[in-house]
Amino acid sequence: MVLGLYPFVDIAADGAPRLNAAAGEELVRVERATAVALGPRTPEPAGTLFITTRRVIWLSEVEKGKGYAVDFLAVSLHAVSRDPEAYPSPCIYTQIETEDGSDEESDESDSEANREIDLAKVTEMRIIPSNPCQLDGLFEAFSHCAELNPDPNAESDEENGWAHGNEGDEDMTDGSDAECEFSDVNPIGQTDAHDITHAVVELQINDQRFEDAEEAEHDTRGNGH
Amino acid sequence: MLFFSYFKELVGKEVTVELKNDLAIRGTLHSVDQYLNIKLENTRVVDQDKYPHMLSVRNCFIRGSVVRYVLLPQDGVDIDILHDATRREARGG
Repeated sequence: MVLGLYPFVDIAADGAPRLNAAAGEELVRVERATAVALGPRTPEPAGTLFITTRRVIWLSEVEKGKGYAVDFLAVSLHAVSRDPEAYPSPCIYTQIETEDGSDEESDESDSEANREIDLAKVTEMRIIPSNPCQLDGLFEAFSHCAELNPDPNAESDEENGWAHGNEGDEDMTDGSDAECEFSDVNPIGQTDAHDITHAVVELQINDQRFEDAEEAEHDTRGNGH
Repeated sequence: MLFFSYFKELVGKEVTVELKNDLAIRGTLHSVDQYLNIKLENTRVVDQDKYPHMLSVRNCFIRGSVVRYVLLPQDGVDIDILHDATRREARGG
Protein backbone atom coordinates (compact mmCIF):
# COMPACT_ATOMS: atom_id res chain seq x y z
CA MET A 1 0.00 0.00 0.00
CA VAL A 2 1.06 3.56 -0.61
CA LEU A 3 0.77 5.99 2.25
CA GLY A 4 0.39 9.69 1.65
CA LEU A 5 -0.56 11.68 -1.41
CA TYR A 6 1.15 11.03 -4.71
CA PRO A 7 1.07 12.71 -8.11
CA PHE A 8 -1.39 11.27 -10.58
CA VAL A 9 -0.53 11.61 -14.24
CA ASP A 10 -2.10 8.61 -15.95
CA ILE A 11 -4.86 10.55 -17.65
CA ALA A 12 -6.74 9.39 -20.73
CA ALA A 13 -7.41 11.60 -23.74
CA ASP A 14 -10.93 12.39 -22.52
CA GLY A 15 -9.50 13.75 -19.28
CA ALA A 16 -10.53 10.81 -17.10
CA PRO A 17 -8.01 9.00 -14.96
CA ARG A 18 -6.90 5.56 -16.09
CA LEU A 19 -7.87 3.23 -13.30
CA ASN A 20 -6.26 0.02 -12.23
CA ALA A 21 -8.91 -2.24 -13.74
CA ALA A 22 -6.77 -5.30 -13.18
CA ALA A 23 -7.07 -4.71 -9.44
CA GLY A 24 -10.81 -4.24 -9.75
CA GLU A 25 -10.73 -0.49 -9.37
CA GLU A 26 -14.00 1.14 -10.39
CA LEU A 27 -15.28 4.67 -10.46
CA VAL A 28 -17.79 5.40 -7.70
CA ARG A 29 -18.40 9.11 -8.01
CA VAL A 30 -17.27 12.04 -10.10
CA GLU A 31 -17.55 15.57 -8.80
CA ARG A 32 -16.76 18.36 -11.21
CA ALA A 33 -15.89 21.92 -10.22
CA THR A 34 -14.23 20.79 -7.04
CA ALA A 35 -11.21 22.49 -5.56
CA VAL A 36 -8.65 20.85 -3.35
CA ALA A 37 -6.48 22.37 -0.62
CA LEU A 38 -3.40 20.56 0.58
CA GLY A 39 -2.45 21.16 4.20
CA PRO A 40 -2.60 24.87 5.06
CA ARG A 41 -2.16 25.99 1.44
CA THR A 42 -4.74 27.99 -0.45
CA PRO A 43 -7.10 25.87 -2.55
CA GLU A 44 -6.03 25.09 -6.06
CA PRO A 45 -8.34 26.21 -8.87
CA ALA A 46 -11.24 23.84 -9.37
CA GLY A 47 -10.70 20.48 -10.96
CA THR A 48 -12.52 17.20 -11.02
CA LEU A 49 -12.69 14.76 -8.16
CA PHE A 50 -12.87 11.05 -8.90
CA ILE A 51 -13.74 8.71 -6.07
CA THR A 52 -12.90 5.13 -6.95
CA THR A 53 -13.22 1.90 -5.05
CA ARG A 54 -9.55 2.20 -4.14
CA ARG A 55 -8.56 5.85 -3.95
CA VAL A 56 -9.38 9.50 -4.31
CA ILE A 57 -8.07 11.19 -7.43
CA TRP A 58 -8.19 14.88 -8.15
CA LEU A 59 -7.30 16.24 -11.57
CA SER A 60 -6.73 19.89 -12.34
CA GLU A 61 -8.84 21.47 -15.04
CA VAL A 62 -6.57 24.45 -15.33
CA GLU A 63 -3.23 22.68 -15.51
CA LYS A 64 -3.82 19.75 -17.77
CA GLY A 65 -1.96 16.66 -16.71
CA LYS A 66 -1.70 17.69 -13.09
CA GLY A 67 -3.33 15.57 -10.47
CA TYR A 68 -3.11 14.04 -7.03
CA ALA A 69 -4.21 10.74 -5.64
CA VAL A 70 -4.41 9.09 -2.25
CA ASP A 71 -5.32 5.50 -1.49
CA PHE A 72 -8.26 4.97 0.83
CA LEU A 73 -5.93 2.89 2.95
CA ALA A 74 -4.11 6.11 3.79
CA VAL A 75 -7.20 8.22 4.53
CA SER A 76 -7.30 8.08 8.33
CA LEU A 77 -10.31 10.24 8.82
CA HIS A 78 -12.85 12.14 6.79
CA ALA A 79 -15.49 14.55 7.90
CA VAL A 80 -17.85 17.25 6.70
CA SER A 81 -16.68 20.70 7.72
CA ARG A 82 -19.25 23.48 7.50
CA ASP A 83 -18.26 26.04 10.10
CA PRO A 84 -17.03 29.15 8.26
CA GLU A 85 -14.93 30.12 11.26
CA ALA A 86 -12.83 26.99 10.92
CA TYR A 87 -12.59 27.10 7.15
CA PRO A 88 -14.08 29.66 4.78
CA SER A 89 -15.69 27.12 2.46
CA PRO A 90 -17.71 24.07 3.40
CA CYS A 91 -15.59 21.07 2.59
CA ILE A 92 -14.73 17.45 3.15
CA TYR A 93 -11.86 17.45 5.58
CA THR A 94 -9.48 14.50 5.42
CA GLN A 95 -6.46 13.42 7.37
CA ILE A 96 -3.86 11.44 5.50
CA GLU A 97 -1.53 8.91 6.94
CA THR A 98 2.01 9.49 5.70
CA GLU A 99 5.04 7.27 5.62
CA ASP A 100 6.73 9.27 8.35
CA GLY A 101 4.00 10.35 10.71
CA SER A 102 6.26 12.36 12.97
CA ASP A 103 7.21 14.83 10.26
CA GLU A 104 4.75 17.65 10.69
CA GLU A 105 5.44 19.61 7.52
CA SER A 106 7.95 21.78 9.34
CA ASP A 107 9.45 23.31 6.23
CA GLU A 108 6.05 24.46 5.04
CA SER A 109 6.98 27.98 3.95
CA ASP A 110 10.03 26.78 2.03
CA SER A 111 8.16 24.30 -0.05
CA GLU A 112 5.40 26.75 -0.80
CA ALA A 113 7.91 29.34 -1.94
CA ASN A 114 9.43 26.86 -4.34
CA ARG A 115 6.00 25.75 -5.56
CA GLU A 116 7.45 22.35 -4.92
CA ILE A 117 5.02 20.47 -2.74
CA ASP A 118 6.26 17.36 -1.06
CA LEU A 119 3.04 15.44 -1.54
CA ALA A 120 4.19 12.51 0.57
CA LYS A 121 4.26 14.76 3.63
CA VAL A 122 0.82 16.31 3.28
CA THR A 123 -1.25 15.20 6.27
CA GLU A 124 -4.45 17.12 5.61
CA MET A 125 -6.50 17.64 2.50
CA ARG A 126 -9.71 19.57 2.02
CA ILE A 127 -12.04 18.88 -0.85
CA ILE A 128 -14.18 21.85 -1.69
CA PRO A 129 -17.07 21.26 -4.09
CA SER A 130 -18.48 24.41 -5.67
CA ASN A 131 -21.91 23.19 -4.62
CA PRO A 132 -21.95 22.56 -0.85
CA CYS A 133 -25.09 20.44 -1.25
CA GLN A 134 -22.81 17.70 -2.53
CA LEU A 135 -20.99 17.38 0.80
CA ASP A 136 -23.21 14.76 2.37
CA GLY A 137 -23.15 12.66 -0.76
CA LEU A 138 -19.39 12.92 -0.93
CA PHE A 139 -19.11 11.98 2.72
CA GLU A 140 -21.20 8.88 2.11
CA ALA A 141 -19.12 7.95 -0.92
CA PHE A 142 -15.97 8.34 1.14
CA SER A 143 -17.39 6.20 3.91
CA HIS A 144 -18.53 3.54 1.48
CA CYS A 145 -15.14 3.32 -0.18
CA ALA A 146 -13.25 3.37 3.11
CA GLU A 147 -15.25 0.31 4.12
CA LEU A 148 -14.23 -1.36 0.87
CA ASN A 149 -10.60 -0.95 1.85
CA PRO A 150 -9.93 -2.55 5.20
CA ASP A 151 -6.34 -2.92 6.21
CA PRO A 152 -4.75 -5.92 4.51
CA ASN A 153 -3.89 -7.43 7.89
CA ALA A 154 -7.14 -6.54 9.62
CA GLU A 155 -9.22 -9.22 11.26
CA SER A 156 -11.66 -10.48 8.71
CA ASP A 157 -15.08 -11.67 9.56
CA GLU A 158 -18.08 -13.10 7.84
CA GLU A 159 -20.30 -10.65 9.57
CA ASN A 160 -20.61 -7.57 7.39
CA GLY A 161 -22.08 -4.16 7.61
CA TRP A 162 -22.40 -1.52 10.22
CA ALA A 163 -23.88 -1.94 13.61
CA HIS A 164 -26.38 0.75 14.43
CA GLY A 165 -27.56 -0.67 17.70
CA ASN A 166 -30.98 -2.14 18.38
CA GLU A 167 -29.95 -5.46 16.96
CA GLY A 168 -31.78 -7.41 19.58
CA ASP A 169 -30.31 -10.89 19.36
CA GLU A 170 -26.87 -9.65 18.44
CA ASP A 171 -25.73 -9.09 21.98
CA MET A 172 -22.23 -10.05 22.91
CA THR A 173 -23.13 -13.09 24.95
CA ASP A 174 -24.40 -15.09 22.02
CA GLY A 175 -22.32 -17.96 20.73
CA SER A 176 -21.82 -16.74 17.19
CA ASP A 177 -18.14 -16.11 17.81
CA ALA A 178 -17.35 -19.78 17.98
CA GLU A 179 -14.80 -19.55 15.20
CA CYS A 180 -12.37 -17.95 17.57
CA GLU A 181 -10.33 -20.77 19.02
CA PHE A 182 -7.60 -18.77 20.67
CA SER A 183 -6.79 -18.60 24.30
CA ASP A 184 -6.04 -14.90 24.42
CA VAL A 185 -8.33 -11.99 24.17
CA ASN A 186 -6.60 -9.75 21.70
CA PRO A 187 -6.15 -6.12 22.51
CA ILE A 188 -7.42 -3.86 19.72
CA GLY A 189 -4.05 -3.27 18.13
CA GLN A 190 -3.00 -6.91 18.03
CA THR A 191 -5.59 -8.62 15.93
CA ASP A 192 -2.93 -9.40 13.33
CA ALA A 193 -1.74 -12.31 15.46
CA HIS A 194 -5.14 -13.80 14.88
CA ASP A 195 -4.79 -13.90 11.16
CA ILE A 196 -1.26 -15.19 11.25
CA THR A 197 -2.33 -18.12 13.37
CA HIS A 198 -5.21 -18.77 11.01
CA ALA A 199 -2.89 -18.66 8.04
CA VAL A 200 -0.49 -21.12 9.65
CA VAL A 201 -3.28 -23.56 10.41
CA GLU A 202 -4.55 -23.36 6.85
CA LEU A 203 -1.09 -23.77 5.45
CA GLN A 204 -0.57 -26.98 7.38
CA ILE A 205 -3.82 -28.40 6.14
CA ASN A 206 -2.91 -27.58 2.57
CA ASP A 207 0.50 -29.16 2.99
CA GLN A 208 -1.02 -32.41 4.08
CA ARG A 209 -3.38 -32.49 1.18
CA PHE A 210 -0.55 -31.77 -1.13
CA GLU A 211 1.55 -34.61 0.28
CA ASP A 212 -1.28 -37.08 0.00
CA ALA A 213 -1.89 -36.13 -3.59
CA GLU A 214 1.76 -36.53 -4.40
CA GLU A 215 2.00 -39.96 -2.81
CA ALA A 216 -1.05 -41.11 -4.70
CA GLU A 217 0.51 -39.87 -7.88
CA HIS A 218 3.72 -41.76 -7.14
CA ASP A 219 1.76 -44.93 -6.53
CA THR A 220 -0.10 -44.77 -9.80
CA ARG A 221 3.07 -44.12 -11.66
CA GLY A 222 4.73 -47.03 -9.88
CA ASN A 223 1.93 -49.38 -10.77
CA GLY A 224 1.93 -48.26 -14.35
CA HIS A 225 5.48 -49.42 -14.90
CA MET B 1 -14.74 -10.04 17.29
CA LEU B 2 -15.16 -9.40 20.95
CA PHE B 3 -14.40 -5.72 20.48
CA PHE B 4 -16.77 -5.36 17.57
CA SER B 5 -19.54 -6.98 19.58
CA TYR B 6 -18.69 -4.83 22.51
CA PHE B 7 -18.55 -1.55 20.63
CA LYS B 8 -21.89 -2.31 19.04
CA GLU B 9 -23.34 -2.10 22.51
CA LEU B 10 -22.01 1.43 22.83
CA VAL B 11 -23.82 2.87 19.80
CA GLY B 12 -25.55 6.07 20.84
CA LYS B 13 -23.22 6.62 23.76
CA GLU B 14 -20.59 9.24 24.22
CA VAL B 15 -17.04 8.00 23.61
CA THR B 16 -13.63 9.53 23.07
CA VAL B 17 -11.56 8.12 20.25
CA GLU B 18 -7.84 8.70 20.42
CA LEU B 19 -5.97 8.31 17.16
CA LYS B 20 -2.42 7.14 16.68
CA ASN B 21 -1.51 10.71 15.68
CA ASP B 22 -2.60 11.88 19.18
CA LEU B 23 -5.75 13.57 18.00
CA ALA B 24 -8.58 12.78 20.39
CA ILE B 25 -12.17 13.24 19.28
CA ARG B 26 -15.16 13.05 21.53
CA GLY B 27 -18.56 12.32 20.13
CA THR B 28 -21.61 10.14 20.03
CA LEU B 29 -20.86 6.72 18.61
CA HIS B 30 -23.05 6.54 15.50
CA SER B 31 -21.88 3.19 14.18
CA VAL B 32 -19.00 0.75 14.07
CA ASP B 33 -18.15 -2.01 11.61
CA GLN B 34 -16.19 -5.22 11.82
CA TYR B 35 -12.94 -3.45 11.05
CA LEU B 36 -13.64 -1.10 13.95
CA ASN B 37 -14.11 1.80 11.60
CA ILE B 38 -15.95 4.32 13.72
CA LYS B 39 -18.49 6.98 12.82
CA LEU B 40 -18.98 9.72 15.37
CA GLU B 41 -21.61 12.44 15.53
CA ASN B 42 -21.69 15.71 17.43
CA THR B 43 -17.96 15.56 17.61
CA ARG B 44 -15.59 17.89 19.32
CA VAL B 45 -11.85 17.79 19.57
CA VAL B 46 -10.52 17.31 23.06
CA ASP B 47 -7.41 19.42 22.57
CA GLN B 48 -8.94 22.33 20.70
CA ASP B 49 -5.88 24.55 20.88
CA LYS B 50 -3.81 22.04 19.03
CA TYR B 51 -6.40 21.16 16.39
CA PRO B 52 -8.50 24.31 15.87
CA HIS B 53 -9.50 23.32 12.35
CA MET B 54 -11.32 20.27 13.61
CA LEU B 55 -13.74 22.46 15.56
CA SER B 56 -16.21 22.73 12.74
CA VAL B 57 -16.50 19.05 12.16
CA ARG B 58 -19.81 17.67 13.36
CA ASN B 59 -19.56 14.11 12.21
CA CYS B 60 -16.64 12.06 11.07
CA PHE B 61 -15.52 8.67 9.90
CA ILE B 62 -12.38 7.26 11.47
CA ARG B 63 -10.46 4.36 10.00
CA GLY B 64 -10.23 1.50 12.45
CA SER B 65 -6.55 1.05 11.79
CA VAL B 66 -5.65 4.52 13.07
CA VAL B 67 -7.49 4.22 16.37
CA ARG B 68 -5.25 3.90 19.40
CA TYR B 69 -7.82 3.94 22.20
CA VAL B 70 -11.53 4.24 22.65
CA LEU B 71 -12.43 5.76 25.99
CA LEU B 72 -15.73 4.40 27.16
CA PRO B 73 -18.43 5.97 29.26
CA GLN B 74 -18.43 4.45 32.71
CA ASP B 75 -22.12 3.62 32.57
CA GLY B 76 -21.63 2.03 29.17
CA VAL B 77 -19.67 -0.82 30.63
CA ASP B 78 -21.74 -3.74 31.84
CA ILE B 79 -19.06 -5.51 33.82
CA ASP B 80 -20.99 -8.74 34.14
CA ILE B 81 -21.60 -9.10 30.43
CA LEU B 82 -18.02 -8.14 29.67
CA HIS B 83 -16.69 -10.70 32.14
CA ASP B 84 -18.89 -13.33 30.62
CA ALA B 85 -17.88 -12.47 27.07
CA THR B 86 -14.17 -12.41 27.79
CA ARG B 87 -14.37 -15.75 29.59
CA ARG B 88 -16.30 -17.19 26.68
CA GLU B 89 -13.73 -15.86 24.25
CA ALA B 90 -10.89 -17.20 26.39
CA ARG B 91 -12.48 -20.65 26.48
CA GLY B 92 -12.58 -20.59 22.71
CA GLY B 93 -16.21 -19.67 22.06
